[in-house]
Amino acid sequence: MLPTYLFEYMKFWHFFATLTRMENKVSQQTESGHLHPITSVIREITTIFNKIGFSVAQGPELEDEFHNFDALNVPPDHPARDMQDTFWVETGAKRKAQGAEKLVLRTHTSSVQIRFMESLAKKQQPFKIIIPGKVYRNEATDATHEAQFFQIEGLYVAEKVNMAELKGTLENFFKEFLGPEAKIRFRASFFGFVEPGVEVDVWYKGRWMEMFGAGLVHPSVFEAAGWDSKKWQGFAFGGGVDRLVLLRYGIDDIRHLYSGDLRLINQF
Amino acid sequence: MKISYNWLQQYFDKPLPKAHDLAELINSHVFEIESVIEMKSEWRKAQTDTVFDVKVLPDRAHYALCHKGVAREVRAITGMEMKNIANVKITVGEAIKPVEVKVTESKLCRRYIARRISGVNVTDSPAWLREKLEAIDARSINTIVDATNYIMFDIGQPLHAFDAAKVKGVITVRLAKKGEKIELLDARVLELNETDLVIADDEGPLAIAGVKGGRRAEISATTKDIILESANFNPVSVRRTSTRLNIRNDSSKRFENEIIPELAEEAMSRVTALIIKLSQEANIGTIKVSATTDIFSTPTKPWTVSVTSDFISEKLGANITNADFQDILKRYDCVVKGVSDITPPLDRLDLKIPEDFVDEVARVNGYEALEAILPAELPAKAASQIHDDVTFYWSEKVKNTLVGLGFSEALLYSLVQKGFYEITYPLASDKSSLRESIVPKMNDTLTTNALNADLLGLDIIKMFEIGKVFPKEGEKTVLCIGVKNVKKSKKKEPEILKEVLAELKKTLGVELTPEKITDNVTEIDLGSLFSKMKAGLIDDLHFQALPRDQKYHPFSPYPFITRDIAVFVPENVLGDGVWNSVKQGIQEAGAEGLLVRGALFDVFKKEGKVSYAYRLVFQSYEKTLTDTEVNTIMEKVYQEIREKDWEVR
Repeated sequence: MLPTYLFEYMKFWHFFATLTRMENKVSQQTESGHLHPITSVIREITTIFNKIGFSVAQGPELEDEFHNFDALNVPPDHPARDMQDTFWVETGAKRKAQGAEKLVLRTHTSSVQIRFMESLAKKQQPFKIIIPGKVYRNEATDATHEAQFFQIEGLYVAEKVNMAELKGTLENFFKEFLGPEAKIRFRASFFGFVEPGVEVDVWYKGRWMEMFGAGLVHPSVFEAAGWDSKKWQGFAFGGGVDRLVLLRYGIDDIRHLYSGDLRLINQF
Repeated sequence: MKISYNWLQQYFDKPLPKAHDLAELINSHVFEIESVIEMKSEWRKAQTDTVFDVKVLPDRAHYALCHKGVAREVRAITGMEMKNIANVKITVGEAIKPVEVKVTESKLCRRYIARRISGVNVTDSPAWLREKLEAIDARSINTIVDATNYIMFDIGQPLHAFDAAKVKGVITVRLAKKGEKIELLDARVLELNETDLVIADDEGPLAIAGVKGGRRAEISATTKDIILESANFNPVSVRRTSTRLNIRNDSSKRFENEIIPELAEEAMSRVTALIIKLSQEANIGTIKVSATTDIFSTPTKPWTVSVTSDFISEKLGANITNADFQDILKRYDCVVKGVSDITPPLDRLDLKIPEDFVDEVARVNGYEALEAILPAELPAKAASQIHDDVTFYWSEKVKNTLVGLGFSEALLYSLVQKGFYEITYPLASDKSSLRESIVPKMNDTLTTNALNADLLGLDIIKMFEIGKVFPKEGEKTVLCIGVKNVKKSKKKEPEILKEVLAELKKTLGVELTPEKITDNVTEIDLGSLFSKMKAGLIDDLHFQALPRDQKYHPFSPYPFITRDIAVFVPENVLGDGVWNSVKQGIQEAGAEGLLVRGALFDVFKKEGKVSYAYRLVFQSYEKTLTDTEVNTIMEKVYQEIREKDWEVR
């Protein structure tokens, strides 16, 4: 007769011996569950930035027009607003009639820049924050576009801040995140809340890919948040977490990320 | 916008860099080039032109949404001399009556220039003009319309031409009257409202200002006399009207981005000269040109910005000498007085504050020249004032606990069919509101994942999400936990949930009060709990470094088929041997690629024998497997077992 412990051992052994294609990907029968790959990637990003002094900040997903647009130097009735396909939100006929302030599902985590600065407007002191969060765009969905996705945003404010520091910060991030072979380049671009504004391309696996938008905080953003724009400078950057997840793991369809499908989640 | 290489070359005496090199230069220094298209002539098959799809962003659209604008940028980054295409002198026919114009809304129409031309012949455009327009995807219509479009794509001023014979009385730029209608070129009739600016004559609207021309005074093959319009309309007014009427075109786009009224004059003389040239080329006899009528209420005032090279250096973190800075300013036609008082060209509305000049310098110098340095650490006192977000910290802590208990994390859709907060213009009816709770989607997810339980190798589906919900009282952070037993289990779902809540209580140190609870799904308001707590250090969350080479394996979209097999063997036979035989059978059936999961799920001893039970899951990446196909595979497995003199139960 085989002793019981040997049966247990054999069960365990079988689990490993039964390696098939699937087994390699989905660990089963372990007690542990799985974090969503977006969470894992956000954790990695915040860890990298945390090491160089960035704290985590967050804010609401249902925003007012002021924090999502006006304060970020995106004027009303300006074509720059077309760059963001916005989900406007209302609460039925009553709200419309009252002409209450319009609500939006935030189109970017940049609204948290304003909220965080407002919370420090009395103190006005240097800070570094990293902002992960869910954002929304009113556009047709396909394998690379979703109506909801995650962004990560960074903001550094001090009395003197320059573009070389922005470049250093982002280079540090992408090398840590993608590997030491990753390179970055800036391309001139435009985002209302920074001046100058750049696109950040990342060289990865033999090609340049547009990953982040970035720049120096526009003086009117400081003013809108109640800070002295003559005294303070800053840099900001932001981009899609989902793209980083797709890139990192080679996931072929962004929509898989929000289906709750364990065939994907349990691989991570 | 589409920019033709040949067209750009018109602005330079010296040859431009080769098309692909120029595209790369523009892409890295000025504007993103979304594509480079090589134009080939139909019959020669030779390359005739290269067209760049240039992404001109809204901050520069007021001067750069045209060939001249892009040429100016090329000049700045290459330092090449740009040709001065001077205004052509127009000879005015004395006998031609100028156009009578009245502008009642000078705030919405800062300038209106009109000119009458008589004796035109409206025909197809000559090949050179057609080619130019077609290269940039503009449809060639006739000589007059093409001439106005050509000038717009060349220098950025939208123009319009009316059939003079159809215009009755005075041209008036005014707001539409309530209920006033206009018939468009495509025969659509639009009803206007009192905020829409129109160009009207004594009979009514002829055109929606800056947005669309009407049918009544349309240029046709029989048109002999025309009235040309070169005007400046208010960006906000054009944008509102074009948005409301859902008409977006090359004209409205340019007005929305604000162009300066000074441009209208240059455009009028350029288009007049072009129409004269086209009629000469077509040999249709002399045409006569009236003097312009120019109602110009609001010229652009020049402005000055004070910027030093030190300021630029400080912002870039690079050493920019004053000589370099002055050279760059010259390339952008900025006039410098004294040391640092800069007057930009009138149409550079994007150069208003000192910060705006940083970009111009970086564009010319190239951002690749920048060093990469990490910012200094925050002063200790400042750093001590900043704390990690409490919701983030505790949410991650809760995730750690739940994953430890075997729960997997979902991120589900926030947009659902019904909710208190509604989307004004939803993408789809099932995504027209914000979720008030995660519970319904969690239930759906548990159900769909339960269907895949065999494939996943799970007896119980355990999931959670931490996310925002939007009930009537407003946004809040909740935790939703769902459990679903797939197989018969001693532990019932409510019991599992109870245990989880007890564990979470240990993590958080507070009692949890589930708001919505069914037998197998619960939702808890975390936000209000967290608001009374303090964040710890991110380090304490023990985030694990991700393996860098981990790759996702796509799953098959086809259904899978499960088969259980139990094998009785003498107890001296090791489980390994049994499993190898099972695999051997599958291999002989040529189906090892179809076995996506195989796992031992039961072992027991009885009367000197051992039973090994395996669950085999078959699935193809190419097609739906049939029962018959899987039965054939299993037959091979049974055969293999029988050959060993073992027993299949």
